[in-house]
Amino acid sequence: MTFFAYNQPASRPQTSTAAADLQREGISMQDLNIIATTSSPAIATDWNEGRVILAGDSYPENAFELFQPLLDWVSAYLAQAGQPLRLELSLLYLNTSSIRIMMDLFDQLEVAHQAGKSVRLQWFYDARNERVADLAEEFREDCTFPFDIIAEERA
Amino acid sequence: MTTTIDVLGLREIFEQRRILMCFNGPFSASLIEEIGLALRHHLENVAASPSAVMDVFSVYIEMTQNIRHYVRENGLPDELTRATVVISQREDGHYLVSAGNKLLPADGERLLQRVRELASMDKAALKAAYKEQMRQPRDPAATTGAGLGLIDMARRSSEPLAASLQVLPDAMAFFSLEVVI
Repeated sequence: MTFFAYNQPASRPQTSTAAADLQREGISMQDLNIIATTSSPAIATDWNEGRVILAGDSYPENAFELFQPLLDWVSAYLAQAGQPLRLELSLLYLNTSSIRIMMDLFDQLEVAHQAGKSVRLQWFYDARNERVADLAEEFREDCTFPFDIIAEERA
Repeated sequence: MTTTIDVLGLREIFEQRRILMCFNGPFSASLIEEIGLALRHHLENVAASPSAVMDVFSVYIEMTQNIRHYVRENGLPDELTRATVVISQREDGHYLVSAGNKLLPADGERLLQRVRELASMDKAALKAAYKEQMRQPRDPAATTGAGLGLIDMARRSSEPLAASLQVLPDAMAFFSLEVVI
């Protein structure tokens, strides 16, 4: 597995172009391993395991810039990997810019699910924080793929 | 020998209005984060419920990021990121998140109109408006929450949104918005 890491780059990294190149060559895309900041979550992907992990708060001013590499990765994975995809989210607070991006991400999963691909989403949250459950629940209303909202008891 | 700033006078206003936090000045992206973290920690320390902490924090973030988006997307001078934000607590325990900033009078009128529309909607209508806004195609050039911020604030508010618009001597207007959590 290869890694590259960056923190909210000023300009978008070359992932999109690289993704297109790799797609043409039929090679799996480079995994993402983006470190969390105060206002952006950790983003990690694992092509071999078919897994995406997002953890933390997400309220960057420009969520589109932050999440575009992930949207590209998921898109390439669903098109080429031919195996299940599982998203594990431990997201706490999302601003509306991030919420809008999550909808695009979940729409990708929904399209794949409708096409008969195996996708699954698990959203973990602190049982005391019902706002996170409300948010996840509202997303789930528009999804038909397996979507679990899991309360965790934390000390 | 007297102090230039009437600190006691300021303090009395803060105490009377139960102001937890107040900032006046230009908001940068990092300042929004710094103040936001301080606000969150403070609310957690006074044992506000996790939902209340999240609602206050969320409204604060949407308000301040909206102001920055407005300035940037309209190519307005940085000076207009100067905003006043006040977080306070009412006698009945509800938190108030209030913010005000200068804008072009025509933009102020439009915003006021939008706030009036949202203030007249019930929770179900707000949810429908929110989902409809989510489904608007996203403009690749736009960086905002695509108009979701104001609806999100209205949904978190326990009372209808309140706003006012005042004309300033320099032909600009001052828009104030208040959300009750």
